[in-house]
This record gives sequence, structure tokens and C-alpha cells, in this order.
Amino acid sequence: MSDPSPIADGAPRPLDPRVITVDRLVGAINAVVVAFALLVALLIVVVAPRVADWMKPLAALAWAAAAFAVAYRAYRWPAVAYRYASYRVDARGIEIRRGVLWRQVITVPRSRVQHTDVAQGPLERRFGLGTLLIHTAGTDHARVQVRGLEHATASRIRDHLLPDEGGDAV
Amino acid sequence: MPSDHRLHPLSIAFGLGAQLREFAWPAVALLVGARSTGAPWESWILLALIPYTLLSVARYVSFRYRFDEGEMVIRTGILFRNERHVPYARIQNLEATENLLHRLGGVVEVRLDTGGGQEPEATMRVLAKGAFEEMRRRVLEERGAAGPREDAATAPLSRTLLTLPPRELVLYGLIENRGLVLVGAAMGLAWEFAWGDRMTWWQRGGERTDRNAVRELVREWTSGIELPFDLASRVVLGVLAVIAFLLLTRALSVVWALVRLHGFTLARWGEDLRMQYGLLTRVATAIPLRRIQTLTMRESVLHRWAGRASVRVDTAGGGAGGSGRTERAWLAPIIVSGEVPALVRHVLPELDLDAVQWQPAAPGAFRRAIKVPLLLVGLLTLFLVPSKGVFALAALPVLLPLAAAVTHLHVRHLGWAVTEAAVLFRSGWLLRQVSVARFAKIQAVALDESPFDRRAGMARVRVDTAGAGDRSHRVAIPYLPRDTAESLCATLGAAAARTEFQW
Repeated sequence: MSDPSPIADGAPRPLDPRVITVDRLVGAINAVVVAFALLVALLIVVVAPRVADWMKPLAALAWAAAAFAVAYRAYRWPAVAYRYASYRVDARGIEIRRGVLWRQVITVPRSRVQHTDVAQGPLERRFGLGTLLIHTAGTDHARVQVRGLEHATASRIRDHLLPDEGGDAV
Repeated sequence: MPSDHRLHPLSIAFGLGAQLREFAWPAVALLVGARSTGAPWESWILLALIPYTLLSVARYVSFRYRFDEGEMVIRTGILFRNERHVPYARIQNLEATENLLHRLGGVVEVRLDTGGGQEPEATMRVLAKGAFEEMRRRVLEERGAAGPREDAATAPLSRTLLTLPPRELVLYGLIENRGLVLVGAAMGLAWEFAWGDRMTWWQRGGERTDRNAVRELVREWTSGIELPFDLASRVVLGVLAVIAFLLLTRALSVVWALVRLHGFTLARWGEDLRMQYGLLTRVATAIPLRRIQTLTMRESVLHRWAGRASVRVDTAGGGAGGSGRTERAWLAPIIVSGEVPALVRHVLPELDLDAVQWQPAAPGAFRRAIKVPLLLVGLLTLFLVPSKGVFALAALPVLLPLAAAVTHLHVRHLGWAVTEAAVLFRSGWLLRQVSVARFAKIQAVALDESPFDRRAGMARVRVDTAGAGDRSHRVAIPYLPRDTAESLCATLGAAAARTEFQW
């Protein structure tokens, strides 16, 4: 095996920082869509005959504020979310931490992993990132996701989590 | 070379019956309607039966099964042949259903389950009783020979764990209100007939008739009754009607229980639990012990008055089925509360309910739990103030103590425990439920912290298992002190990692 450094050392690791950029791009696209939809809604309301003239600049101001809020969130939030996300892999399994307001720590024992996938979206591919998907036989956590790993790291974790007869026998 | 076996020839009739059942009610409705209009519907319907009969015959002719070394081979299909090999060791359940018609013909319907997915591996509609006994003997023998756990300790051990005499079934019927199900079914039936009536009315070019059987019956019953018109008598009459309805549904429920669960027996048979019940439709089914994912004990207020409880298990693959499947997951539809630990000991030998040391929720749990209800009450009052003014505040002296009392009772009845082999969680003040998840069946452990939790230094631990239904009671322990939650997560994660999960 060509492991440059052991991944299953039980030390908490942050995600790949490039995920912040990816999430900001996704957020920017969302922000543009939301701002545009709000603008259309606003125009429909403003051209309605019953709206008083003094309300129009106010409505424009409200739109600007909303658009700014969405854009600001798209810029700030990924960095905050990044600070609160981490994972830890050891011989027994994987532990994933995430969430800013509602925080969650998920522990999946290695012996419960049914199968794993590493997926890559177009943006992720551009930045060399990957999403690790861990499938268990459970109900709520039948599919546990770790976004924002370096693609090679995701593959290494996947290889580690695979059942023994698959990985070590060769 | 092992020889091929076929289904019982009556399969043709039963296969046809099963296909017809899907559109039986519209057909019956049409027939009733046709009789009243004098249209020649009957003959047309008979004509429509021909393709179904041919299909049914083809299925019977093409269905073969044989017992090979180590596996059962089932062949089906004429144009598209399909040969399915089912190793004996993988067969989890041979479920036999036998309704009134089956019994007249001396046959049973058999479902062969391997526990993979929702669908049974094979449905044999229908086998002669002797052939089924033979199949069961073969499968058990071969499975015993192939199974890894074959040692002296697990040699055929059969033991009846629970039988329900009629007295218990009556209690079951009174406690669990099954009557509403029957009322619902009756209403469905009435709707079908009304629908048939509308069909014929449309056929006859818009001339409305009152040939609707149900409506006519109701009219006949009520025609002789003069309704009193003063308010007091009306109220009394209404209350009486409600009481009568409740009594009727409970009575129906008792009848349902007596018929459906007649002669309920639960027995342990080697590594399987076997269940048998039913007066008109006899069902015999088995649950392999290792397929049990979680076990839940339930006590409603009525249960406690009667000193009873009910026990159910979630089995993997069976939890998401229809209502017919959930019935089969009852380990004990009703059982004397004091006997629950003994029953559980037989099913999960590693668990001793009497020795469980329950831990309460965190000391500050009430203060943490009351915040959300307080917030809701506050918002409700704020919304009402504009329209009702000061009067909106009048509800507060009632709502606030109520919210406090309910929250207090809720928190007081929370509890959790960890034994050497399992984690337990109990909750509920009116409906008390206890769930057990064994370490070997834990799939994932999650620690959740809401903003409220964080302020109070608490967390919730959720244990995920396979086969939990949407509405099943799960092990999700709220209001734990943060560090307790953390160490509980670590304990459970490590314990789960040590065990091997087996379907």
C-alpha cells in the first residue's frame, strides 16, 4: 500500500480549506438566484397601481438589504461552518463533527459500514475535492456524508473503512 | 437427482382469487348495480376472467421447486424462465397463512423470506399441508446442518413463552382500540356501493334512482324515529350516540381480537421465535432471534389499569411494510406486566430487565425543557392580543401551570441505562415506552446539541438501528449532561465496534 501518512491515527482533522471557496461559489450562485427572484417579486408589487410613491424607494432599500444579507451570508458562513467541522478516523471507525448552531457528532463503527462511495460534483472536481458517503444498515443514518475532503484523502478513508477481507487480503 | 415438486392444483383457483381481489370491490359494486338496472353485466365480467384464468393456469404449470444439496431451487415462468437458488442457511422464515377457504381445501399459502429487502423471496400459493410440513422439516434440518452455531447447547429446544387465552384477548380488544379499523373498513365498503350506484345512474342517462342499498337501509331505520326538538334532549341524544359509538367500536375491537389473535402462542424453537394465531385465517410465522433489532415495551394508561403491557420487536426489513407486517412484529400483543422480564430474558438472554439501573435526565432538565413550551405560550398570547385584547392574557394562568406540569411529568419519566450488552431508554408519562438496543445491533451513534442544549450544557444521544419504523419508539436520550453524553457516545461506539453485525 502507498499510504504516505497513516490516516487512522485517531487525531481530529479539519476539512480541506478549499471547501470554503467551493461553498462560497455555491452560495454566490444561490445568492444571485434569490436576489433575482426577489427583484422580480418586487417589480410586480411596485408596478401595482395601489402602491404609494413614497413606498417605492423603501421597497428598493429593502431589496438591497435582503440581497446584501444573502450575499454576506454566502461569503461568511462557509468559513464559520468550516471551523466547526472535523473528522477523526481510528482503528474502530470514523467520527464526524459538524454544525454551527445545531451541532452533531456522528460515530460510525467500521464493522457497521456496508459500503462507501466517493462522489465528486463538477465544482468539487475543479478543486480536487470529494465527498465521502458511508452507507450503514441504519435508519436515520443509513447514509452519512462527509463533504469537503481532499479527493485522495476521501479515497484513503474509504479504503480504511472497507471490510477487512476486501482490503487486507490482497 | 432430486425430484421436482409442484404446487397444489388448487393453486389455479387461489391464484385467480388473489388477482381478482384487487378489483373485487368495484366488481361486486358493479354486479349489485347491474342487478338493479337489469343490464347484462354478469356475462361481461365472466368474459373478462378468461385471461386471468389462463395466466393462473400457466403459473401453476410452470412453478416447480426441488430440494437440492444445501439449497432450494425454485423455477418459474414459461416465456422468461427464472431459476432461483435459495440456500437453506439463508431462509429466515417460512410463513404459512391459512384462511377459511385454504382450510376447506387442506392447503396453505407459504411465504419464503430471506431477509433481503422488502419482498419475500418466494410466495407459494398454495401448497398442500403435507408438502408444507415436509418443506419446513427439510429446511430446518438442512439449516441446522449448515448453520455455524450447531452445538449441544442449541440442540432443538422448544419452549412455549406465551399463550393468550380468550380472557386476555378480550382485554387486548378493550385496551387497543381496533374497532375504528373495522368502522373504517365498513365505511370503505359503503363508499364502494355508493360509487357503484353512481356508475349505474350515469349509465342510465342521468335519471337519479334511490337503489343505493346502504342509503335505503339507513332511511328505513330512521324513518320511524321522530327527533325531539328541544335543546336538552338533543344534547342528551348526542352524548348517548357518542357513548354508543364508543361502546360499539370497543365491542368490535374485542370481536376483532378474538378472531384475529385466537389461540396466540409464542414459542422459542432453537434460534427462532415462532408465532401462531388466528381463528379464520391461521398464521404461523417465525422470527430468527438474530434478526431482532430493537425491542420496545409499551404501557398505556389502560394497560396500567389492567396491569398489562405489550412488547414488540423491530426486525430488519420488516419495519417498513404495510399494516399486515406490523401486526407480526408484536412479540406479545398483551402480557401481564410482571411477566415481561421473564419473556425478555428468553428472547434476549443477555438482558436482565430487573437488574437495570435507570439513570434520570440531567438535574437542570426541567429548566431546559420548559423553554420551548414557554416560548410557544408567549407567541400564542402575542398573536391573540391584537384581536382579543387583555382577554388573551386571561388564558395565561391556565396555560402556564399546564405547560409546567406536563413538562415536569415528561422530564420525570425520562430514563436511560447501559448494561453489559445493551442501551435502554424509557419515556412517556401517559403512554410509557421502553426501548432496548443491543450493542450488536447499533449502526451509528449521534450526539446532537441544539442552541438550547448548548446554553444548558446538555446534549442528546441518538442510537441508530436497522429497521426502525417511522413511528417506532427509538433510543434517543435527551437532556443529558454534556460530558455524560460524550462518554456515553464513546462507550456505545466502542461497544458497537467490538461486536460484529449480522443480518
